[in-house]
Amino acid sequence: MAEDDKKDQQGESGKETGKLMNRRDLLQGLSTVPVLGLFGYALNKQIGYERAQKEALAGPAAPAAKPSEINVALLGQGAQGEVLLSAMLKVPGLRFRAVCDIWTEYNQKRAVNTLKKYNFDVNGYEDYQEMLAKEKDLDAVVIATPDFWHSQHTVDCLKAGLNVYCEKEMSNTLDGARRMVHAARETGKLLQIGHQRRSHPRYIHCFEKIIKEAGLLGRIVTVNGQWNRAVKPDLGWPQRYTIPEDRLEKYGFKSMEQFRNWRWYKGLGGGPIVDLGSHQIDIYNWFLQSQPKGVVASGGTDYYDAATHEWYDTVMAIYDYETSAGRIRAYYQTQTTNGSQGYFENFMGDQGTLLISESEAAYSGMIYRDVSAPPWDSWIQKGYVSVPRVLGPQPEGAEAVLDVRESVSPDEHRIPISFRDPYHKPHLENFFRAIRGTATLNCPAEVGYETAVTVLKVNEAVEANTRLTFSPDEFSV
Amino acid sequence: MEQERFSRLQMMALVVLRVVIGWHFLYEGVAKLLKPGWSAAGFLLQSRGPFAGVFRWIAERPDVLGVVNPLNMWGLAFIGLGLILGCFTRLASAAGMIVIGVYYLCNPLLVGYFYSVPMEGNYLVINKNLVEMAALFVILVTNSGRHMGLDRILHVWFQKGRR
Repeated sequence: MAEDDKKDQQGESGKETGKLMNRRDLLQGLSTVPVLGLFGYALNKQIGYERAQKEALAGPAAPAAKPSEINVALLGQGAQGEVLLSAMLKVPGLRFRAVCDIWTEYNQKRAVNTLKKYNFDVNGYEDYQEMLAKEKDLDAVVIATPDFWHSQHTVDCLKAGLNVYCEKEMSNTLDGARRMVHAARETGKLLQIGHQRRSHPRYIHCFEKIIKEAGLLGRIVTVNGQWNRAVKPDLGWPQRYTIPEDRLEKYGFKSMEQFRNWRWYKGLGGGPIVDLGSHQIDIYNWFLQSQPKGVVASGGTDYYDAATHEWYDTVMAIYDYETSAGRIRAYYQTQTTNGSQGYFENFMGDQGTLLISESEAAYSGMIYRDVSAPPWDSWIQKGYVSVPRVLGPQPEGAEAVLDVRESVSPDEHRIPISFRDPYHKPHLENFFRAIRGTATLNCPAEVGYETAVTVLKVNEAVEANTRLTFSPDEFSV
Repeated sequence: MEQERFSRLQMMALVVLRVVIGWHFLYEGVAKLLKPGWSAAGFLLQSRGPFAGVFRWIAERPDVLGVVNPLNMWGLAFIGLGLILGCFTRLASAAGMIVIGVYYLCNPLLVGYFYSVPMEGNYLVINKNLVEMAALFVILVTNSGRHMGLDRILHVWFQKGRR
């Protein structure tokens, strides 16, 4: 090389004699270009493997017959709308036609651009009425607007002949929720409420197999659950995309700040107990196959500025249920100042405990067998629960310190259902299958209504500062 | 620098070093570009140390992230391309050093800091980011693209243009 370099340099200095670029310059200059070919080859392989893995994890392949296409509109493309959209992009057989969002310069544009990347040519609208008037081929709409718009949006879309997937909370008022149930009945169209755990394979396994069929928990006596979320600053927005005041006012918002943080405002949202708690309290009613008789609750805006956080940042509630098996007390807390221990639901029976959450990362399904319960070997053989976790050796003399008041630790088993899809995908798929007539809704309007009654009462109970009762007919429309 | 001479083996070693770092950068960029909705927000939110405030400020602003994310993804890819091809080698290695420096400042591995994210390997202050940064420093000062890389061709053209 040293020799070559000398020659090179001579060559270069020799350029003054007129030679522009010699062969050596060219060869050495391009010497690393083939690496790009290698990179491309490796990248292509890697993408292929990743795709194959994803397909394998997605479980059984989609039916060979191409599903009939469903024409879908999106109403509300904020953070939640975006989550639903990204899940829907993994669902085959959908054709997106229109996007409606009043934040035309930001949310709407983002959704339209995303869909463009997936080769969907969609029209953007600010006003949903205009969308309903102009888009004549729609089969379904997915609504993810702020809670106080759900009722009107859903009712109008149902009346326009669309099947509706509406995010939870179904409405911020029971009046609004009732109108939605009536509209679904009158129009005969489908209305799915977005309590997506109802379609989560792990939750379905736990209810159908563990609780109903195997009865592994014995008699459920207590339930507890929580969603702990760390402190979060208010949502901001790029100043140049501020929505003009008259448009904000037209759609029920006093300011851009309120538009971005509507969940905290009375009359617009329901606060964390509704945003977070509703998902989990819905599971209480589902797994217990019952509705509560009463609720006591304590809560308040203890941490944030009450002027901009009208709804309670901290809520603790206790429901009581009367079931054919006996009385059940169910505790739920949501707080928004510390995210430790995250979110889960925990069902405790006299034979076992089921600890479950939507997440794969934590509480992804554990079941504990009380030592007094009959052995679970047959359920392990059937694959309902995993083999128990082998515990390490007990510290010397551990048994000696076990007080008579203490219980022996139960065996820990896992729920052997892992789930790698976006959380909302199965629930959306259930909705689209129902449109095609190959499934029934996992969370129809009536079920969403029961949950709304159960959850909205907590805010009332906080205000009333006493136990509030539910009358049995309160849950039906 | 022009006076410096490298043996064939030394030059090969420098080019290999440049190409593998380039490959790493290019794939870091491409992998992010291929992930729909990839964002630096998660990484930035975990920031520790004296600049944590700045990084979190970025992470919490969608408009700033809207600039930072593409800049990061495309920046990594172009730095990678530049290093592999030996094209604008010095610019690419300097930019690479800055990018890695920023990553390190975002999550500095200072003694007494314990991160919740698992890291492969064991590090005391120096992690692989810093090693890569130091390697880029070698690339920067030896400018191997000038000998084996498109820079050589560019250089010839440039010389011609000047005359």
